[in-house]
Amino acid sequence: MNLTWRLAWRNLWRHSRRTWLTVGAMVFCNVLLIFLISLQLGSYQMMIDNSLAAYTGHVQIQHRGYLEQQRMRQSIPEISALADELRTTLGQGDVAARGMAFALASSRERSFGVLLSGVQASYEPGVSTFPGLIRQGRYLNPGDSEHIVVGAVLAQNLKVGLGDEITFIGSGRDGSFAAGVAVVVGILESGMEEIDRSVAQVPLAWFQQMFSMGEGGHAVVVRLPGLEQVPAALATAWTLVEKSPDLVVHDWDAMQPGLRQAIASDMASGWFMYAVLIILVAFSVLNTQLMSVLERTREFGVMLALGMRPVQLARLIGMETLLMSGLGMALGVALGSVLTWYLSVAGFAYPGMEELGAKFNMPGRMYPEVSLLSLLWGPAVVFLGGLLAAVYPALRLLRLVPVAAMRAA
Amino acid sequence: MWKSVVAGAVLLCSATAVSQEITADDVIRKAMDNYRGLTSHGQMSMTIHRQDWQREMAMNTWTEGDKRTLVRVTAPAKDAGNGTLSVDGNMWTYSPKVNRVIKVPASMMSQNWMGSDFSNKDVSKDTDIIDQYQHQLVGNYEQDGHHVFVIQSIPHEEAAVVWGKEVLHIRDDWVILEHQFWDQDDTRVKTLRTLEIREMDGRNVATVIRMGKEDATDEWTEVRTTLVDFDIELPENLFTLSNLRNPR
Repeated sequence: MNLTWRLAWRNLWRHSRRTWLTVGAMVFCNVLLIFLISLQLGSYQMMIDNSLAAYTGHVQIQHRGYLEQQRMRQSIPEISALADELRTTLGQGDVAARGMAFALASSRERSFGVLLSGVQASYEPGVSTFPGLIRQGRYLNPGDSEHIVVGAVLAQNLKVGLGDEITFIGSGRDGSFAAGVAVVVGILESGMEEIDRSVAQVPLAWFQQMFSMGEGGHAVVVRLPGLEQVPAALATAWTLVEKSPDLVVHDWDAMQPGLRQAIASDMASGWFMYAVLIILVAFSVLNTQLMSVLERTREFGVMLALGMRPVQLARLIGMETLLMSGLGMALGVALGSVLTWYLSVAGFAYPGMEELGAKFNMPGRMYPEVSLLSLLWGPAVVFLGGLLAAVYPALRLLRLVPVAAMRAA
Repeated sequence: MWKSVVAGAVLLCSATAVSQEITADDVIRKAMDNYRGLTSHGQMSMTIHRQDWQREMAMNTWTEGDKRTLVRVTAPAKDAGNGTLSVDGNMWTYSPKVNRVIKVPASMMSQNWMGSDFSNKDVSKDTDIIDQYQHQLVGNYEQDGHHVFVIQSIPHEEAAVVWGKEVLHIRDDWVILEHQFWDQDDTRVKTLRTLEIREMDGRNVATVIRMGKEDATDEWTEVRTTLVDFDIELPENLFTLSNLRNPR
């Protein structure tokens, strides 16, 4: 260790209490930042997973243009076979085929327009949380044909209960009149009006027959264990559809663009709070370093008189700050990672969150995301902020005149 | 040069003279009466054209007065028997596949009718336009020896109408040549054009009409009238739900 570094290190501990207080502020700030950022990123992960788990899935294969236009004719031929093939090739996650059609749903008393989904009863529960939200009756079974599961609000609007019939009229894939009658076997209640008003699911085979779809459908839905697997699954799906130029693969971001935007806007408001925290810590460093420079004016005067150059003095202050900030960062990151690592394993829940999760068929605990980004981003900015705060005290030294400085109080 | 100015002035005078004789409301009224009559029965075929496919069907239609319309599909065999009944702005549809009559809710009236470019409202051939709109004669021109009125119809404030305005070109024998539908941002959305006019049962009838969206030129629906009789005796129970379900 060369002399100036040793000098800087010793200078720090001439006022150990003051140094510890400043380091303490940095450590506190760092731990808080690591915890909050990890929690924030973790909650985004959860937000994405929960939204996608509801119905959309992480990846979908569709006909080109179906995403924008949702036309009946933009369908995938032999959809169950394609879904089976993708399921085997992927080897992880869940895959299910769906058909979708707009139809007029009518009970004895009322009529409403609905988006009817044809689903594979045996695979749908893997890609969507809806089947787990049945409050009355049951979900569709693989053997069902003229059976339907509807949302609670839709059931209420149509004034139907379990065992009642709903009639559907719409247009088939070939433009012909499509009509069918289905018996309500289950009523789904998610607590979210929008979902409860729109869900209407029938077995895929019956759907295909009613809408003259042949063996076709509109989407192969893939739900993966996590977001990390999305790129690989996308690539796999693309290789499968390579031979049919009409088919495309969409990832969740293409299907739910609002999700990323919501996250970006939440992120922006989060960073504002972090910035305030970081600026407060930077001022505390500025305060400490300015005081330590001012109280050592006479000492610095002597050092200048002995032949030290002002630049070396400024560098000394810089080194002191570097050491102090480095200490704050090292301790902060160490403490912060232990804390978030523990929470990422044990999970973290607000009061009432587990009940809420159970109600919506979602996980009841959230797990902060431990990554290099979440661990180092905050502390790195605090470190830089601290260094920046030392610039002003250091600059003051450049203008120090030896004699005047030695005479200073 | 003077000649043309004078000729222009004369033409202008004659045009205003004609328009003073007859108001926009009268033109619309006469056009509606012309294609509906007191009662009418028609046979028509409908062609739905899309970029990659096309589909045809045949149907029978009956109308009575301003507010009663019955449409029944006769071909293709797969769809035969499907029917739509419209009475006083209410609409019901029947499908033999499920043997049920379904009321079409008001919110679905602007949805397309069986995959065509016509809306449920268009098919009901309702004459709402007469009393729910404010009509104004905005121009006129000569075509094939006929005088043509251009009428702009703007819905009344409280009218439950999705359009911002409709523009009709109506010939002086009361055949509608063109019917434009404009949205509330003043963009034309779709246009119903008359492609062929023939005399049927003593009137000039638009026998081939085509509804096309403005933003997709390769998507249209054409209706070809093969036969129409006006002012005939219709059975009393024709426009009832029980007849919709069990045709006699």
